[in-house]
Amino acid sequence: FKDDFSTSPHLFTPMSPYDLELPIQGASQLSQSKELCTDFSSVDLSFLPDVTQDNKEQNLSEDGHEAQKELDGSLPSKDSGVFMDESSLSHPGAALASPEAPDVCPPLTPMTPVTPATTPSESSGIVPQLQNIVSTVNLACKLDLKNIALHARNAEYNPKRFAAVIMRIREPRTTALIFSSGKMVCTGAKSEEQSRLAARKYARVVQKLGFPAKFLDFKIQNMVGSCDVRFPIRLEGLVLTHQQFSSYEPELFPGLVYRMVKPRIVLLIFVSGKVVLTGAKDRSEIYEAFENIYPILRGFKKPS
Amino acid sequence: MAARGRCPECGSESLVEDAHYAQQQLVCAACGCVVSEGLLTTTYTDEEHLREVAYSQSTGQKEQQSRCLQRGIRRVQDLCKALQLPAVFEETAVSYFQRALQLPAFHLVSLEKKELLGGCCVLVTCRQHRWPLTMGSVCSLLYAKQELFASVYLSLQQELGLSVPALSMAELVTTHLDSFQLFQPTANIPAAFLEDKEKLLARTMGLVELASEAWLVTGRHPVPIVTAAAFLAWQSLRPSPRLSCPLARFCRLAGLDLPPPAHLRLKELLEILLGMASQLSWLRAFRLDKKTVVKHLGELLQHRLFLLKRAFSQQQQEDMAPSSDSPCQRSPSSAVPQQQGRPSAGKQQQQQHGGTLRPLLPPCLIHPRKRPRAPSAPAVPITGNEPISDSEIEQYLRSPEEMQAFRKAKGWP
Repeated sequence: FKDDFSTSPHLFTPMSPYDLELPIQGASQLSQSKELCTDFSSVDLSFLPDVTQDNKEQNLSEDGHEAQKELDGSLPSKDSGVFMDESSLSHPGAALASPEAPDVCPPLTPMTPVTPATTPSESSGIVPQLQNIVSTVNLACKLDLKNIALHARNAEYNPKRFAAVIMRIREPRTTALIFSSGKMVCTGAKSEEQSRLAARKYARVVQKLGFPAKFLDFKIQNMVGSCDVRFPIRLEGLVLTHQQFSSYEPELFPGLVYRMVKPRIVLLIFVSGKVVLTGAKDRSEIYEAFENIYPILRGFKKPS
Repeated sequence: MAARGRCPECGSESLVEDAHYAQQQLVCAACGCVVSEGLLTTTYTDEEHLREVAYSQSTGQKEQQSRCLQRGIRRVQDLCKALQLPAVFEETAVSYFQRALQLPAFHLVSLEKKELLGGCCVLVTCRQHRWPLTMGSVCSLLYAKQELFASVYLSLQQELGLSVPALSMAELVTTHLDSFQLFQPTANIPAAFLEDKEKLLARTMGLVELASEAWLVTGRHPVPIVTAAAFLAWQSLRPSPRLSCPLARFCRLAGLDLPPPAHLRLKELLEILLGMASQLSWLRAFRLDKKTVVKHLGELLQHRLFLLKRAFSQQQQEDMAPSSDSPCQRSPSSAVPQQQGRPSAGKQQQQQHGGTLRPLLPPCLIHPRKRPRAPSAPAVPITGNEPISDSEIEQYLRSPEEMQAFRKAKGWP
C-alpha cells in the first residue's frame, strides 16, 4: 500500500492536496484532486498496456472495489479513481469527474499514438507536445531561385538579405528554405510525418516549376517539444544543486538552460513551470529527457 | 641514427651523432668518447651559403606571448584596477583569459569579441569569489553590446567548462547601496532625505529576501528589484517627508540609475506587502493602500515569514492550520485587491476557509499573458506518404498574367 504512493503522485497534478510525507491522507484525497483531461473519448488509448497489479492498488477510492473490477484491462492507468457510475467506466474513454472543472486541458493526449518509453506507473503523467520539427532534404538538382520566386506565389526571395527562397504552404503549416544547390530545409511542422508530407509538397511545387527534383536523404534534424509541470520552480535552487548541467543568468535570460547529457537534450526551464526541450533527433529523446527532469523539478517545488 | 665506424677507445660500434650546443659531434654511446666533431668557426664560403634562422623556427617565438595576448592581458588588468578588485582576482582572470584565447573558438574571432572575452573572464572570476559584479556594469565599462557580451560569456562558460555560481543578491544589495548619495549631506538634498547606511541596508536586505520568497526575483533581472526595495526601505524609515517623493526623483537624488522594470517591481512588492498587511489584525483597521502600507514596513518585515504563509494560499494543504486560525482569514479590507488566483487552488482554499486568498505564485502565473494553449491533436493521424493532389500544388503557382505583373513590378525584363 504505502510503496505505491511513492509513484502515484506523478499521476496527479501537484496542486493536489496529496503529499508524500502524509500517507494518512489517503484515498479520499486521491479522488478529489484530479485535474486530468476530462474528455478521452476521441483518443484511442488501446495502445497503452493493461493495468498492472501496481496500478490497481493505486486507484483506490471510497468505492474502490467495484471500480477495480472495471479497471482490469479496460482503462489505462492514467485514469484515476473518481468513479461516478459503472456505465461510464466501461467505456474506455471514460470522462473523469473533477471538482474544479479546469480551464485548461493538460497535454496528456499525445499527438500520435506512441508507446511511452517508461511504464505508466513510473511516468509523470505529462507528455511533452511537439511544437516544431526541422528537417532537411536533398532535391538533387540545381535550382534557379529567381525563376522560382517568379513562378511561385508562396515564395519570397531577397538575395541581398539571404541566399535562399523562403516558401510557405498552408497545410501542413510550414516554411521551407530552398537553396540553389538543391538542398532544402523544412521547419514548422508539429510531427515527423507532417514534416515529411510538407517536404514532399515543396518538392512537388519545385517539380511543377519544371525542375527535375527528387526526394533524397530526408532527415529530421531537430525536434522541439514543450510542456508544463504545473508548479512554480525555484531556479536558484536548481542551479545550485545541478551546477554542472545548468546555466541560470537572470540578467541575460529568464529561464534556466539545462544541458542534459543522456539523452543529449537542452531544456529551458522557466519559473512558471513551463519546460521547453530541444535538440532531439527522435521523439523518444524528448520523452526520455522530460521523464529524467521531472523528478528533479519536483524536488524544487517550493512548499512555502 | 647510429653512424658506422668503431670507437677508438673501447671499440664498440654504437656511434651516435649528437650536438653539443650548435656543434655536431660523433660520440660513442658506450664510453662517451668524442670520435669527431664539427667546426666551431665557419669560412667565408660557408657563410655565404648559410641562411639565417627564421624567427618562427627559433625557440624564442614560443616563449614570447603574441601581441594579441599581451594586449588582452593588459586590458584585463586595467579592468580589474578600474573595478578595484583584489589582486588574486586579477591573476585568476588573466589565467582564464590565457586559457580561453588558446582555444580555436576564441582565437579566430574579431578583436571586438576578444576584448569582451577579457571582460567575461573578469566577470567569471568575480562570480566565483561572490563579488557582485553585474553584466550591466561590465558592458558599460567595455562599451559593449549586451547581446554580443552575452554570447561571448555563454560560449566561454561552455568552452572552458566553468561552473559559475549565480549572482548573490545579498552582496549585490550591499554593493549597489555603496554608491548611494543619500548618506552624506550635500547641497541639493533636503535634510529629511538623508539616511543612515546600516539601517537602510538592513531593511533593503529584508525586503529583497521577502521579494525572493514571494517569487518576484526568480527569472528577473536583479538590479531593478534592488532599486525598488531600496526605495521602499528608504521611504519607510521616515515616511512623513518621504512618501511624496516618487521613485524617479529618489533615484536622481541618490545618484542611482532607474531601470525601467523598477516601477513594475515596486508595484508587485507593494501588492505583496498589502496582502501581508491584511493579515495583521492591528493593521486591518487602517484600510491601507499602496501609499500608506510603507509606514508599517518594519512590522511587516519582522513577521514576514509568518505573514507570507497566512496571506497567500499554499499549495500543500498541510500548511493550513485548523479552525483556530479561521478568524484571521476573513475577507480583508476592500482596499486590498485579492481576487486573483488560479481557479483550482484558489477555490480549494476558499471552500475550506471561506477567505479569498491569492496563491503565492510567480507573477507570470497570476497574470498569464497568453491564453493557455489547448492541445490540438490532428483528427486523422497522417503517415507522411499521403498522395498530394495536383490542384493543391497548383494553388501555389502563379498564372501567366500574375507573372507579367510581378515582372513589371520588379522591373525585370
